Parts: sequence; structure tokens; C-alpha cells
Amino acid sequence: MKLKICGMKYQDNIKHVATLQPDYLGFIFYEKSARNFDSESIPDIDEAIKKTGVFVDATLEFVIDKINKHNLQAVQLHGNESPEYCSTLKSEKVEIIKVFSVKDEFNFERLKPYEAVCDFFLFDTKGKHPGGNGYTFDWNLLSDYPSTKPFFLSGGIGLEEIEDIKQFTNSKASKYCYALDVNSKFEIEPGLKNIEALKAFKKNLSEVLDYKKEHVMNYNVNEKGYYGEFGGAFIPEMLYPNVEELRQNYLKVMAEPDFIKEFDQLLKDYVGRPSPLYFAKRLSEKYNTKIYLKREDLNHTGAHKINNTIGQILMAKRLGKHRIIAETGAGQHGVATATVCALMGLECIVYMGEIDIARQAPNVARMKMLGAKVVPALSGSRTLKDATNEAIRDWINNPVDTHYIIGSAIGPHPYPDMVTRFQSVISEEIKWQLKEQTGNENPDYLVACIGGGSNAAGTYYHYLHEPEVGIIAVEAAGLGVDSGESAATSVLGKEGIIHGCKTLLMQTKDGQITEPYSISAGLDYPGVGPMHAHLAKTGRAEFMAITDDDAMNAGLELCKLEGIIPAIESSHALAIFEQRKFKPNDVVVVSLSGRGDKDLNNYIEYFKI
Amino acid sequence: MNRIQTKLAEDKKLLSIYFTAGYPNIDDTATIIENLEKNGVDMIEIGLPFSDPLADGPTIQASSTAALKNGMTTEVLFEQLKDIRKTVNIPLIIMGYFNPMFQYGVEAFCKKCQEIGIDGLIIPDLPVDVYHEEYQAIFEKYGLINVFLITPQTSDERIHYIDSISNGFIYMVSSASTTGAQSGFGTVQTEYFERIGKMNLKNPQVIGFGISNNETFTQATQYAKGAIIGSAFVKHVTNNGVNSIDTFVNSILN
Ligand SMILES: Cc1ncc(COP(=O)(O)O)c(C=O)c1O
Repeated sequence: MKLKICGMKYQDNIKHVATLQPDYLGFIFYEKSARNFDSESIPDIDEAIKKTGVFVDATLEFVIDKINKHNLQAVQLHGNESPEYCSTLKSEKVEIIKVFSVKDEFNFERLKPYEAVCDFFLFDTKGKHPGGNGYTFDWNLLSDYPSTKPFFLSGGIGLEEIEDIKQFTNSKASKYCYALDVNSKFEIEPGLKNIEALKAFKKNLSEVLDYKKEHVMNYNVNEKGYYGEFGGAFIPEMLYPNVEELRQNYLKVMAEPDFIKEFDQLLKDYVGRPSPLYFAKRLSEKYNTKIYLKREDLNHTGAHKINNTIGQILMAKRLGKHRIIAETGAGQHGVATATVCALMGLECIVYMGEIDIARQAPNVARMKMLGAKVVPALSGSRTLKDATNEAIRDWINNPVDTHYIIGSAIGPHPYPDMVTRFQSVISEEIKWQLKEQTGNENPDYLVACIGGGSNAAGTYYHYLHEPEVGIIAVEAAGLGVDSGESAATSVLGKEGIIHGCKTLLMQTKDGQITEPYSISAGLDYPGVGPMHAHLAKTGRAEFMAITDDDAMNAGLELCKLEGIIPAIESSHALAIFEQRKFKPNDVVVVSLSGRGDKDLNNYIEYFKI
Repeated sequence: MNRIQTKLAEDKKLLSIYFTAGYPNIDDTATIIENLEKNGVDMIEIGLPFSDPLADGPTIQASSTAALKNGMTTEVLFEQLKDIRKTVNIPLIIMGYFNPMFQYGVEAFCKKCQEIGIDGLIIPDLPVDVYHEEYQAIFEKYGLINVFLITPQTSDERIHYIDSISNGFIYMVSSASTTGAQSGFGTVQTEYFERIGKMNLKNPQVIGFGISNNETFTQATQYAKGAIIGSAFVKHVTNNGVNSIDTFVNSILN
């Protein structure tokens, strides 16, 4: 668990406290507080310590001014700041900590609107003043905490609470507790901290505060666009204004009530959501476990891709863009983009590798029928990676009126996070559907195939911080991981930069990006989204690689056992049951990301049908 | 003083030429550099080819693909350049994408550059803030100047920030485009050049993208310290090989 020491005021005391290496130091910018920080500057302290500004219903200008002036890395909001207010500040590249005061009870519903726009919640004791009241609230209330957002525990924590904290950290209520926040109980006078008492506190709680025993790992993107060490925005300056405009606005726009309303309405009436969660009885019998299929194949246009394109087209409209570009490999994302452009009456240009155009004729025809212009990518290897390059080049050449709809959880920040959020409707639905069907919203395992990782990110999103839910990520092994013809990025990839993002990617030892291979065009990408690179690196997800042959057989098996023809991408996820045993009572949810219509030719050729 | 800074201090307009290392033939690197210097070019950008050059148009893409096919790698380039300072005195800059440098190891790459006598780097996909936070100290340790791009869309605030972190010149991209995209400058461009000129930046500007002949070179250098030619030169060697570099350079300067 992390430690935040709040209410710093005096220069020498600040330097002194910093030597104790807390994770956060808090500076209160609120005139009515006895600890109001009114010095000209904060002394130089170790950069690892996050300087946190604490505000109470301050104007945005005031907060932003303090962020810049003092180089703050986090802001803590104690008043009635709205979700929109939080999301505006989020574009300042600071962590947002929203405070909620708890007394004898707390309505957790209040947290909901803040989920998308804050990095942390902070629970403080309700008292006369915003913060610094000196007594604790009943921490057991937090055992009903319905969220997975990491939180700070605050309010009256002092040396006498050490035993209670130890107990608390062993209880369910602390599951998402990220940090302890201390203030008034460690003071000689308001704002002047007692070093010896702080030392004793750290020493007595060294077990709890030891970062190696961190029990809340953050799998979400941080304020700079990184998942652990992966992500970021490695883009040429020509793209900076476009990407920056998106970064500053995406959370704000996504939090607008009329955006949420339109998005939800279209997902329901146009896409056909919620997609069913189907208990696959015969498949379950065969593998002696409980398999549920999340039926993204039943969405309009036949895959999960449309969840993202609906979200992004609404985003593009709100940003005033009227020209849409996209890349596509197999054509699924191209079709989903052409579809929403037709729906909104916007110009649509889809880049597609010359080789893929030849391989995927039906989808090319679909895009054209939907009014899109399909432009062949003639450079490099003339497949998905090159189509993505061409789309990025188009964006460089059309910086003002164009929005680029990326089709997976890849690319420069904020794309991976934005695409993930749009796709997260998948796990949002799984939660209540599973609860309805089994009484428990948590499965034992979630399984999804990974190309760039958008259906997987959406399937995992609301479960990332539920340690008891196992996550299985399935990559395409092609002809075999060691065959030289594979797309198993987590095994074959090394850290590097592709399409503006630091992640795992397949490359030569000189850093030239190599061509992957899979029978499934949708998994044929040399990189993987940064979230998945992080899940692989931290061991949060178990990665498996499935060959062409195993995937094709699993696809045919689903046809025979359940009457469902899956996309070959999704067949990769289904193939794990031949390789990995589950217990009879395990509930395993598989993302059936798409339907097999587009792959009929492949199936026909492969099985000589 | 770094050779780039010395060159920028000269009282003349500078011509800088980009070429893709390993193209048209793998062993052309030293010949091209020596010929460019001999014919009066002021500065050279040696393109380290990359499989996925996002900021480049078709000409440089094709030369990069061909160079990689010819066997160009970071190691090979360093090997070819190891004695270059015995014959060449003008500033040499390596221009390349970040991933190959990242794989080589940024520090090892910079060290090697210093050993060879490379003066600076242009890395279009290494953003200024990442450079500043993670790599500036390394570049400076090895005496390398990192050159940043600005475009017509770059805000004044950001230009000032880039200026504050630069210590050579600012690469002023002439229009919102990839390399080799356009020819000639209209009023939109010249107004942008003027706007930047009036900002009193501490670093001189050198204009690149869309400069292909004497006319565009002359026009660009009315507004800036120098100009960079890339695609037009790559096209020239595609059509004429490396023996008529004098013709090309003369056509620009005269
Ligand atoms: C049906 C289907 N599933 C999965 C994918 C892989 O993409 P992602 O990893 O972004 O979900 C694709 C991509 O085209 C697809 O069409």
C-alpha cells in the first residue's frame, strides 16, 4: 500500500518529510484551511514523490495555475466538483483523486459518474471541515464497495490506528485500498509534521506499506497514457495537434450525458445490444466445464468492431470532423467504419493492404456498397501494418477536418484507452448477465483472442481488478510459434515502438518490424495493444498460442455442437479447451468476437467442403 | 562547439541534403556523402532506413524498403561511417525512426555516433517531452544535438517549448504533409514562415518538406537559415545513380 502525507506547509518540514519517501505529499490550496499552502514554491524533492494539490471547489483556472506553477502530479478534489470538472483536469496530465466523505453510511451510487474520469477515490471522514477532522469512519462500510477503482483511505489515521489498519488490510473491505492518507494526527501544530511519529508509523506498518506486496495493481492507463511501461504517444510532430486534441477531449466527451445517451441508444437499436451471453451446453459437456459464449458475433456487421466505431463516430462528430479514415486488415473494421459513416452521412476512406484487398473481396464490396472509398496500401508488405501506416500518413496530410478511427486497442495514447472504454460494454454486460444466470457476476475465467486486443480489452475491462477472475489471452500461433510463420506477439515480440505506441512487437534484432502470419487476417498484427503487453508482463493474464489447424478444428466443432459458425479469430479462443483443462465447476466466459460469414472461403478451402 | 552550431554561425544560407543510407546500392553511403560535400552542400542527413516510415511519402518509403533489402542495418551503417571523418568535415546528422535506435540501445547508439563524429539526430517519432524526460541527458553526454520538427499546426506555446529544449536548429516542416508531397509554396506557407520568423526564437530555422529545386530553395531561404532537400535528391539518385550529384547540387545552388 502507498502512503500519502497531507497538509504540508513549511519549507524545511517539507524537505524533512520527503526524506521519509512517502509516495504522495499533499499541499492544500484552500484559504480557509489552517494548512493552506501559501509559500511561493515547493522545495525540490525526490521526483518519485507525487506532489498533490488539494482543492475545495476552486475554479479550474486556479487549479491549472497551481498544477503548472508547482509541477503537481496529482490533484485531490474535496468539494462538489462535477465529473466534467474532473475530466477537464484529466487533460492536464495529473492523477485525479476525488474525495467522498463518509459518515455512518455512504451511498456508493454517487461514485458511478466519476468512475470514468478519476484515477482514484479517497474516502474521508465527514466532519465540520473538508478534511483534517481527526477521527476515523467505520472502515467496514467499505466491504460493500461496488467498484474496482483503487482508493485512498483517509480521515483521522494516527499511531493508535496501526492495529486497526493491519486488521483492515486483511479484510475484504481493503481489497481496493491503494493508499493510506495521513495528516492531522502527525502534527506538532497545523501544517508542521512530526517526523518521529511519521517514522514510527512507517516502521510499524512496513509490512503493509512494502510496495513489493502491493495488492492493488493498476491495470488501467495512467495520466501519461502508460500501462506500466507500455503505451505513450510516439508520434511525429505533424500528428501532435490531432492526437492532443483527442487526448484533451475524449474523457470529457465520453462523460457528457447526451453522448452517453446517444451511444447507448445506438448500441441498443442499431447494433442490437445487449448481445446474449449464451451457456453452450453441448460444448460444456464435451469439455466437462461450464462454457458461456459472449455473442459479439450477433452484433450488426457481425463482430465486436462496431462497438468502437459507433463510439468513435460520435466522438468525431463532437470534435467537428467530417472526414473519416480507417485502416483494415480482413475488412471487418473497414466495414464497421463504412457502416457508421453511412449512418452519419460522413465521408469515409478505408486503407487496406493490396494483398488483403485481393484476399477479402466480399468485404471490399461491402465497404464500397456502404459508400466508402477503399484505397490500396502499396508500400511495405501491403497488409494491415502498411494500411495502418497509410492511414496515419493520410492523417498527417489532413490534420484539421479528419478523424482517424483506429480499429483496435493500439496506436498512440489515447487510442488504446478510448477503444477499450468503448469496447468495455462487453464486460459490463457479462457482469449482469452472468449474475442473472449463475447468481455470481464473476466467472472463473475470461477468454478472448488477441489481434491488437480490442475485443479482449472489452471483455476484461471490468474484471481487471478482480484477482479471482482468471484472464486468458489467446494469440495466433500461425503454423507454430517457432515456425517463422506466426503472430504470437507475447512470445516472439520484444519491447519496441509500433504505430505510435511502446509495446511488445515482432521485429528483427535491428528493430525493423516483421510480418506476422496467421490464417486469420484479424489476428495478423505484429504488435499487441499496450494494455495486453502490461497484462503479459505482470502475469495478470495467461497467454496461449493457438495454431491455424487447432483454430480451424475448434471453429468447425462449434458449428457441429452449437450451430454457430464462428469467425476464425474467435475460433482461436475456442481452441484452448483442447489444450487446457478446467474444473467441472469452473465458469469460463469466451468472447465470441465475430461470426464466420467472412471466412467461408477459408473454411471451404481448408476443409475441402 | 558542435559542427552544426559552427555551420549555423556562418553568414550564408545553408543547403542540407537527405539521402537514404544503403540506396540505391548498399555501399553508396560514403560516396554520396563525399560528393555532396565536394559540391558545396552544407549539411547532410543520413537516413537510417526503417520498415515503417510513418512520416515519409512514397519516394523515401520506396528507398527505405530497397535499402533494407540491400542489407542496410544500424551496424552496417556505423561500419560504413567509421572513417568518414577522415574525408568529410561538414555536419552529419542521422535521421531515423526511434525503434531501431531503441533496439540498439539509446546510449550505445549515441556513444557510437560520437565515436564516428556524427553531430546530431533527427528522430521524427521521438516526442519532445519523452526526449526531455528520458533521453536528453544521454544525448548531451555524447555531444549530440537533437533536432525537433514544427509544423504549421504547432502552437506558439509548443514552439517556444521546443525552442527552449533545442540547441541547434528547428526543422520547420513547410506544410502539413509527409515528405515529398508538394511542390512550391503559396501564401499559406509564406505567412507561416513569416509568423515563425517573427517569434524571435533562439534557434535558427531550417525549412524542409517540399523543396525540390532552385526556386523552392531560394524561396525557403528567404525566410529561414537554410533548407533541406530529401525526396527530390532520392529521386535524382534513383534516376541517375551517384555519379551526377554535382549536376543536382548545381541545379539547386545556381
Ligand atoms: C471477429 C474478430 N475477432 C477479433 C479480431 C481481432 O481484433 P481485436 O484483437 O482488436 O479484437 C478481429 C479483427 O479483425 C475480428 O474481426
